[in-house]
Amino acid sequence: MRFFSDTKKYAGYVVRAAKSQLKAEVANSYLNWVWWILDPLCFMLIYAFIFGVVFDGREPYFAAFIFVGLTAWNFFNKCVIGSVKMVKKNKAIIDKVYIPKFVLAYTRMGVDGFKMLISFGIIICMMAVYRVELTWNVLLVIPLLLLLLIITFAGMTILMHLGVFVEDMSNIVTILFRLLFYVTGIFYSVYKRLPAPYGIWALRLNPMAFILDGLRKCLLYGQTPDMRIFAIWLVIGCLVAALGVKIIYRYENGYAKVV
Amino acid sequence: MDNQKYAIEVKDLHISYRCLKSFSVKKSFFKLKKSKPEIYEAVRGVSFNVKKGDILGIVGKNGSGKSTLLRALAGIFSPDSGEIDLHGYTVSLLAIGVGFQRALSGRENIYLSGMLLGFSEEQIREKIDEIISFAGLGKFIDMPVQTYSSGMYSKLAFSITAILETDIMLIDEVLSVGDARFKKKSYKKMKDLIMDEDRTVIIVSHNSDTIRNLCTSVLWLHEGEVRMMGDTGEVMDAYEEFMQ
Repeated sequence: MRFFSDTKKYAGYVVRAAKSQLKAEVANSYLNWVWWILDPLCFMLIYAFIFGVVFDGREPYFAAFIFVGLTAWNFFNKCVIGSVKMVKKNKAIIDKVYIPKFVLAYTRMGVDGFKMLISFGIIICMMAVYRVELTWNVLLVIPLLLLLLIITFAGMTILMHLGVFVEDMSNIVTILFRLLFYVTGIFYSVYKRLPAPYGIWALRLNPMAFILDGLRKCLLYGQTPDMRIFAIWLVIGCLVAALGVKIIYRYENGYAKVV
Repeated sequence: MDNQKYAIEVKDLHISYRCLKSFSVKKSFFKLKKSKPEIYEAVRGVSFNVKKGDILGIVGKNGSGKSTLLRALAGIFSPDSGEIDLHGYTVSLLAIGVGFQRALSGRENIYLSGMLLGFSEEQIREKIDEIISFAGLGKFIDMPVQTYSSGMYSKLAFSITAILETDIMLIDEVLSVGDARFKKKSYKKMKDLIMDEDRTVIIVSHNSDTIRNLCTSVLWLHEGEVRMMGDTGEVMDAYEEFMQ
């Protein structure tokens, strides 16, 4: 399939471009790469204070609970919102050379994925500080992160395409994501806080809520997430991603005419 | 071997800008009456062949579809109908400074831009010394590009595209950049590249002298259609008379 051969062909560029974007981001700051650690750490402290102290949140390992959620959410949020204006932002490139446009999505995921990995490093430290009991369930982080990547990529391809043609897309997406932010349960447990039948469905119907809950379950609480739901979202994610890639291949050569 | 003669074959190419205008949700809400999509056909049924090693000039007044045609050949635009066959040759639009990260060094940007143009890391590593020495930026090559003067910036950008060569080169206005000395050097380099027997080149230019000096044949586009194609002298005489 063309998608896989193109992915292979541009892998080198993606890595290089993501690296240089990361370097460029911190090139002129005093603290340099320290920001990659400082940034998520500070936000975690703010949220832990607001929701732990002011709103009296009651989850075991509360700071880690928030931080796991925030880490995965930030990756998803930044990538997908960034994808809306991605083609326009890269006008200089797409005007001059042909690249499959989802390569831009890869680069973005590379940049934010790297930051996510640093955050996961911090999570490991926090787990050590809290003396969280480790179980084999921890290994389930890998398939869950894979699902996160696929869902993110799927969302990016679709929104990247719509963002080219629909001028107001970014306003709509910003509002929708604010809603999603609150229903995904970053500061509270969706399952425990929502009344009985709704809680479980809020988890099942929202892939991000499911991923966040799953990550916490296997990292912090030694539980196994519902693997049937996992499989369903994996299939849906792959199908949407395939559709998104197909749409991009079909229309991408028109992008240069619009922007 | 007969079809190997041609490097580029274009058959009945149509490219239009249509219904691809981006729209706002509000506008389409309030304008329930469906507005007729504006169609602007930039290229209308163009056919031509270019032999391997030939240098084709494309002339025509502004808005005659020259740049659109060039971008279609480079694969940036898709044609609405018609065929473009490049027989598997690598092609590049001579584009300057693609994908530069201004906060990073010149050396890093050579890799970045080169890989975007479709070269592998090894290919660039082989040529990087040549690029650096051609650009002649001295110690500035390891400084961030944002510290460059505009002349230095274009020198670096030109060197990347000129040294990482492809089988088919598409040139939108022959580039001469930098100070007088680099201008001379870059013009000579361009000429060497263009004159290479294995390389097929298409040049779009408004400069009649450039076309007359460099091209083996000329295509005259008018309102998106081929007005005339053939021997450089003949077409240019007719074109210049028309433009008077």
